[in-house]
Amino acid sequence: MGNLKLENVSKAFGALTVLHDINLAIEDGKFVVFVGPSGCGKSTLLRIIAGLEDISAGGIEIGGRDVVQLSPAERKIAMVFQSYALYPHMSVRKNLAFGLENLRFKRSEIDARIMEAARMLAIEPYLDRKPRQLSGGQRQRVAIGRAIVRNPDIFLFDEPLSNLDAALRVQTRAEITRLHREIKTTMIYVTHDQVEAMTMADQIVVLNGGRIEQVGSPLELFDNPRNLFVAGFLGSPRMNMLKGKVAAIGEAGVTIDAGFGSPLTAEIDPASTKMGQAVLAGVRPAHFTLADKGLPFIAQYYESLGTETYVYGTLEGQTEQIIIHRTGHFAPGTGERLFITPAAGRMHVFDPETGLALPRAVEQRSVAHEHA
Amino acid sequence: MSTLRLPQIGERALDLVMGIVEAPINGLERLMGRKRMPYLFLAPNLVLFGIFTFLPIAIAVGYAFTGGTELFVSDRPFVGFDNFRQLLECEDYLRPGSCRESLFWTAIWNTLWFVAFNVTATLLVALVTALILNRAIAARGFFRAIFFYPVLLSPVVIGLIWKWFLDRNGLLNALLQMLGVPPEIFLLEVGWSRFFVVVVSVWFHMGFYTLILLAGLQAIPRDLYEAAAIDAASPRRTLLRITLPLLGPNLMVVLILLMIRSVQIFDEAWVLTNGGGPGTANSFIVQYIYQMAFGSDLRLFGLASAASVLMGLVLLALTLVQLRLGRKMES
Ligand SMILES: Nc1ncnc2c1ncn2[C@@H]1O[C@H](COP(=O)(O)OP(=O)(O)OP(=O)(O)O)[C@@H](O)[C@H]1O
Ligand SMILES: [Mg+2]
Repeated sequence: MGNLKLENVSKAFGALTVLHDINLAIEDGKFVVFVGPSGCGKSTLLRIIAGLEDISAGGIEIGGRDVVQLSPAERKIAMVFQSYALYPHMSVRKNLAFGLENLRFKRSEIDARIMEAARMLAIEPYLDRKPRQLSGGQRQRVAIGRAIVRNPDIFLFDEPLSNLDAALRVQTRAEITRLHREIKTTMIYVTHDQVEAMTMADQIVVLNGGRIEQVGSPLELFDNPRNLFVAGFLGSPRMNMLKGKVAAIGEAGVTIDAGFGSPLTAEIDPASTKMGQAVLAGVRPAHFTLADKGLPFIAQYYESLGTETYVYGTLEGQTEQIIIHRTGHFAPGTGERLFITPAAGRMHVFDPETGLALPRAVEQRSVAHEHA
Repeated sequence: MSTLRLPQIGERALDLVMGIVEAPINGLERLMGRKRMPYLFLAPNLVLFGIFTFLPIAIAVGYAFTGGTELFVSDRPFVGFDNFRQLLECEDYLRPGSCRESLFWTAIWNTLWFVAFNVTATLLVALVTALILNRAIAARGFFRAIFFYPVLLSPVVIGLIWKWFLDRNGLLNALLQMLGVPPEIFLLEVGWSRFFVVVVSVWFHMGFYTLILLAGLQAIPRDLYEAAAIDAASPRRTLLRITLPLLGPNLMVVLILLMIRSVQIFDEAWVLTNGGGPGTANSFIVQYIYQMAFGSDLRLFGLASAASVLMGLVLLALTLVQLRLGRKMES
């Protein structure tokens, strides 16, 4: 069974601790994405699960078995490397067969599995070629095929798309998702591309500096980022941050003064804050609406993508960049002044000291999801 | 000055040299034109190669067709293929005694046996050493240097050191005596002396081949081994199915180089065995050539040259194979 449990896993390379007390439970059959900035420990965590790296402390269970002492081969995992790591001197067929031969599978079973995987990945025409005679995308499929024939409990992918061009990346992304739906095996997928994370994952694990920042479904993380890091990391362009102060605390929410005589209403738990507290109000570009009054926004330039437009600018008299999103065509002049207000219920409030989000008011939790 | 690290000193020295060299080079380039500059740089090497390598080869081929004991070609009679005939005339090539130049054929057989044993032993020892050094062992650099060190020594010094070690009253016998083993006159016994000629040769050259193999091993990507670990490959299967095939080109280069060098065995064996002894047990082809030409006033320059030409042809064939492999490796 492909469920995975990490308990207080720590990893140090010499004096450098790169993973701190990681706790994580992954259910069987889920597609889980580890995402985070470069050097945050994603690969290390994946390699620890694979057994390619020892842990300094903690426990790992796969399918209820303690696997800490087990070799990679005994863990019933398969890994797709960023470099693919295909055996260059073996044909595609031999690459796929190698693991099964080592496990002393019968020839007929090996051939059957290879044909099945080759069919699934459409690599039948290349079975007798060497890896160097394949394109990047074809190599990628072979690497996935080598994982599939093992019939593992868990698939591990370390940035498998990073060597592909943009178009192929989108296509392969969809294929991996389809593959997951077809074979329903647990997949753990490392990437630093938040689009991959958002589009592929059942569950995203956001890592930063060797710690888990938040775990949840893509939309949970998007709608309710637990802290400033997650808020800033997911969503593109990134969430805008407005500096403000708590000006009033009422039944339904809290009023935040961000200047300009135009108070903002945030639906957060009144008990979580106090009058005068400095806060950061987070608003995604798409969650600003234009109005007759509100925060004065000075447009500097805009990017038209046809169906949507991003306008870059600042609040009047400030220097921090603010980005707003409009659907359709929109062409503000440089220096043009617009009034913007956060859409009701779409504002996130953070404590700048701790970086944590202030909890939402209870009845506001289940806001209708708007897809980003 | 004391704060300068060695590489920095090197860099600065290089800058200085480049600065000094640049002005005249620029002048030369203006004089000769850019197109002709490469030939200018190649010229010294080509001239030296011509005088000290190509010319002697040509002269040796010429000598091979002359007879007598005179030194100067002009004084030597042309004898056609007589020298080659003399070398190759044989009732049964397997029995050197039945050949007209029995010493030549003894030398050939000795050399062939030496090549067989030496190539096998050196290849195995170098491979095992490289495999061990390739693991993340402590002080790898130190061991690499230790194994490479003999390569830097002069063959005569190597011969002398080992002779001193293996002599009747040498170090090895002293050690054996301490262990209660009766002493052996290693260098005067046919089997032992041949054995030690191989041992010395392995010890002398293995560092060089270890280095080539180690470079090959280190060029194998780490993640292939990780993939193999996930693929449940045992250490033995990893060695046989991953490491050795990927090391193949390097092994091939080592094999050919080793064969070429082994055929040329001479100086350290000559010193170690007091001129190929006991008897002719360690007489090799180069030694035969040397003795015919310069040993005991024989002055058979024609015969020696003919033998050189024959050996040269064999080496040429091996070298061509090696070049071919080298080109194949690059593509
Ligand atoms: N073998 C190692 N020895 C020492 N430090 C290491 C080793 N492997 C990784 N690290 C360090 O551990 C940290 C996490 O590395 P890791 O490769 O897991 O990052 P990552 O999140 O995968 O980054 P990227 O997105 O760039 O691949 C980095 O600071 C890295 O320098
Ligand atoms: Mg990584």
